[in-house]
Amino acid sequence: MNFYQSGWTKVLTTYHRFAGSWAWILHRISGLALTAYIFMHIIALSNLQKHKIDRGKAFNEEMALFSSPFFLVIEWLLFAFVLYHTLNGIRIVLVDFANGARYHKQLHYAVVTIGIIAFLAMGYVIFSHQVNNSVAVLFR
Amino acid sequence: MPYKHLGSRNSGAPGWLFQRITGIVLIVAMVGHYILMHYTPTSGHSFASTLERMQNPLWKVFYLSFVVVGIYHGLNGVWGVVRDFKMKRWLSMTILGAMIILGIAFAVFGFMNVLVF
Repeated sequence: MNFYQSGWTKVLTTYHRFAGSWAWILHRISGLALTAYIFMHIIALSNLQKHKIDRGKAFNEEMALFSSPFFLVIEWLLFAFVLYHTLNGIRIVLVDFANGARYHKQLHYAVVTIGIIAFLAMGYVIFSHQVNNSVAVLFR
Repeated sequence: MPYKHLGSRNSGAPGWLFQRITGIVLIVAMVGHYILMHYTPTSGHSFASTLERMQNPLWKVFYLSFVVVGIYHGLNGVWGVVRDFKMKRWLSMTILGAMIILGIAFAVFGFMNVLVF
């Protein structure tokens, strides 16, 4: 079937997707997003090159911004992308090098399960410091 | 990219293998980066401890290679996406050239960020 002549929207919307194709799509989306992020990260950190004399000032300005509650939530969502791309990357390596093609569906379900657990655990790690600090301020 | 212009020698296999190798390197590096920045943020987010840590050449090499490996893995992945589309040769080569220039420029920029310390 010629993809371009038969209405590609119909092909995209009616094509039956299985675990492997979802893994592939999510891996691409997260990969492109993370590539965009690494460039953004380098641009954001280039603020460290300001304040030639007082390096600590530039550093602290930067860290105050990235430690704000809004950025912590954004970083948590960023971790979801990193996490999925990491776990599915391990799955891809197993498929390519460890005969994982025989059990790639089970690996996909393992990726999703481990991913959700690790995402929640990272939420605790990221926000526990913030919560502890806020509570400490209240009871000071 | 139309491979007929490059011959069968350019199968993309080295890029495929490097993508796996750099991916595994990045998993290890990313775990370290996350422990530092989110598990022990008082150390990762403090200027004094960062300055002290960065005096260790191993940490400096770690972050310099993190920049290079991360950018390579990202752009090699984007190139993999580009290769899935049937493009005119001039277009794919322009994208490849832009990606190489962008990658080198941002690697240098990232190096400058690390070498501030």
